[in-house]
Amino acid sequence: MLNMSEYGLISGIISIGLALGCYVLATVLARLARRQTVMAGAGAGGGTIAIGQRGASNLAAYGTLLVYLGLVFISASLVFRTIASGRGPFANMYEFSVAFAWGILVVYASFERRYKQRALGLVALPIALALLLYAMTIPSAIDPLVPALQNNLLLSAHVAVAIVAYGTFSISFAAAILHLIQGENGRRSLPSRELLDEISYKAVVIGFPFLTLTIALGAVWADLAWGTYWSWDPKETASLVTWLIYGSYLHARVIRGWRGKRATWFLVLGFGATLFTYFGNLFFGGLHSYSGLS
Amino acid sequence: MTRTMRTQTNAQAHREPTDDLGGLATSFADIGARLWHLFISMRTGLALMLGLAALGLIGTLLAQADPALQGDRQAYAAWLESVRPRYGGWTGVLDALGLFTIFSSIWFRGIIVLLATSVLACSANRAPHLWRLAVHPRTNVGESFFAHAPLSASIASPTDPDVALAEVRAAFRARHFRTIVSRDGDTLHLYADRFRWGPFGTVIAHLSLILILAGALIGTAWGFRNNGLAVPVGSRVEVGYGTGLSIEAKSFTDSYYTNGSPSDFTSDLVLYRDGAQVAAQTIRVNEPLRAGDVSVYQSFYGAAAVMKVADPTGMVVFDRGVPLEWTSRDGKHRVGQFILPDAGLTAYVIGVASGEVDPQIKPGQMRIEVYASGSEGSLIASESVSQGRPTKIAGLDFTFVRERQFTGLIVARDPGAVLVWIGASLLVFGISLVFLFPSRRAWALIRRRPNGSSIQIGAIVRHEITFQSDFKRLVDEVELALTGPSGA
Repeated sequence: MLNMSEYGLISGIISIGLALGCYVLATVLARLARRQTVMAGAGAGGGTIAIGQRGASNLAAYGTLLVYLGLVFISASLVFRTIASGRGPFANMYEFSVAFAWGILVVYASFERRYKQRALGLVALPIALALLLYAMTIPSAIDPLVPALQNNLLLSAHVAVAIVAYGTFSISFAAAILHLIQGENGRRSLPSRELLDEISYKAVVIGFPFLTLTIALGAVWADLAWGTYWSWDPKETASLVTWLIYGSYLHARVIRGWRGKRATWFLVLGFGATLFTYFGNLFFGGLHSYSGLS
Repeated sequence: MTRTMRTQTNAQAHREPTDDLGGLATSFADIGARLWHLFISMRTGLALMLGLAALGLIGTLLAQADPALQGDRQAYAAWLESVRPRYGGWTGVLDALGLFTIFSSIWFRGIIVLLATSVLACSANRAPHLWRLAVHPRTNVGESFFAHAPLSASIASPTDPDVALAEVRAAFRARHFRTIVSRDGDTLHLYADRFRWGPFGTVIAHLSLILILAGALIGTAWGFRNNGLAVPVGSRVEVGYGTGLSIEAKSFTDSYYTNGSPSDFTSDLVLYRDGAQVAAQTIRVNEPLRAGDVSVYQSFYGAAAVMKVADPTGMVVFDRGVPLEWTSRDGKHRVGQFILPDAGLTAYVIGVASGEVDPQIKPGQMRIEVYASGSEGSLIASESVSQGRPTKIAGLDFTFVRERQFTGLIVARDPGAVLVWIGASLLVFGISLVFLFPSRRAWALIRRRPNGSSIQIGAIVRHEITFQSDFKRLVDEVELALTGPSGA
């Protein structure tokens, strides 16, 4: 089972890597085709331009298929691991990282379906890929659970809900980055600022309730295992900081004159806080020391 | 009207001298109004949230002293010395600013109070408005609304107004909108809304934060928490805090996996109130004992020395396990303490930490140091005692009976916790309600025209591309149904 899980991960990494390659190549091809259109004007070279554009859209479609394929592989990897360990695949840094990447890919795939903006993938897929590659470099052994983690229901619920939140925040970050790159009047190769603003917002609107639930479930668990629902453990505090930043974003967005670039910076800050919360336990210690990397 | 009148009063107040009582009252009102506007401002809320986030960030980056140390100046000073190598000359500055105890600092408390005020003010300001929108929405709008609405469309229909209305209504209903129709002669008004209770989520979420804060305050004011109650196996220890409770540890077991990491910590506990047994349970991490409003959690464990002390007449004055719950500063010894109240003595039991060697304390021995009780207590005598052999120290016979384990418990009562749980549930519910069920409102105005009817549809959803396209589809659908595919 564990081998199957490993193969699933490797296949997933290859698929996502290829998907990213397709997206990048499609973007470059589309760009070249457009440049030729501008240079050649109407008429001359129309054939090659059409081929370039068709090639780009074919490649992009393959990219999407590869994302789905990667998602299937990584889901399978997580399922095999669950079967092998008899618990949710959420108990050490290796498992968190694969699950985090899975969360990003699920949210990305659904947003791509809904908004048809593959440009998001240019930012989101590298993040997912980096997490998967990072997982490959750290110990993946299934160690038995220390007493504090021996609560299968809360372990699965608390981390699974967090994964959804982190996934949506990654997508809102991707849209935010594109928003900041996108010029005032809109570059043709990127989605419009309005659309990116909406994508970010829609992602946060899903992620924020999930982050709230993550913290609430964490409090329930802390009350059982640590004897108090809140103890200012660094990871707890970091999650609260993340919550406050996304809360600020949701408020900033409705302040006159703050929508757009100013609110978008909150998303960059929020994703920074998300990563800080995620990786934080590796360097600030505290009660959440379950990475298995010590 | 009212607004204009208030402005006049203020203008008068500025003209007249403010040393009379009336002027004073007005200026108080003026300050009140300014404060009100400050606290209902979204910018204020935003600044406070970011301030709180900044404090939280400091709290994760900077070492934080255990809250238990804060009542103990000596222990806190020792802790400060332990972090001095890390922060160097900044240690004093950071300490003076309260940044090592940031979550009980004046900054943190101040921001929490201001934030709570802002949350309450905003809720009080918004709730009546939201209530009106949900319960008594304006169901008819005039021509000018459609001219200014962010989303609007007009359709000329060859049909009768009632037929047009039925189509518009059907289109909204298909999208799960509630519709209200009113007639004004030949003019038909349609109001449509969806998830009208959604916006109440913000009020619920904001007030739930107050509930959580109230729960935390009540817990601090009327609850208690002992994070380090060490109960030696075979002994019974008072809980204190006026609970009348005592806990006996029947056994403690620590088990390990083959790789050496811990697999389970369990304690068999019996809880007594005023001597009578009230509960008995095997607790483990994740499975605390709840007895009424008091909870007992498994937290830590360690070695204990069972000590027996007899006075010169042979009467046993002490016979219990003494948890060796502290580690000496050099890490070489484990230390426990017990008091002999009748003799006015405090005894320290010192054992060698595992892996360490002390020529003064041989295997199977404990060192006993006896001090006069009191803050200036001075050392009276000290002796290493061998297991099972009574040794006379300070006129009493001390026997180190055997080594046993102690189980380390957290005992807490938190009467505010229930509010925290209700608050947290409402917070998740409120946030989900407002964001996952966004409210939508739209109006239609249908008038009879010589050649049929005119339809105007408008909605006030700004900046939302998905709703814009849905609105466009709705308009197309109505148009198609009323005028046919040719669009004529």
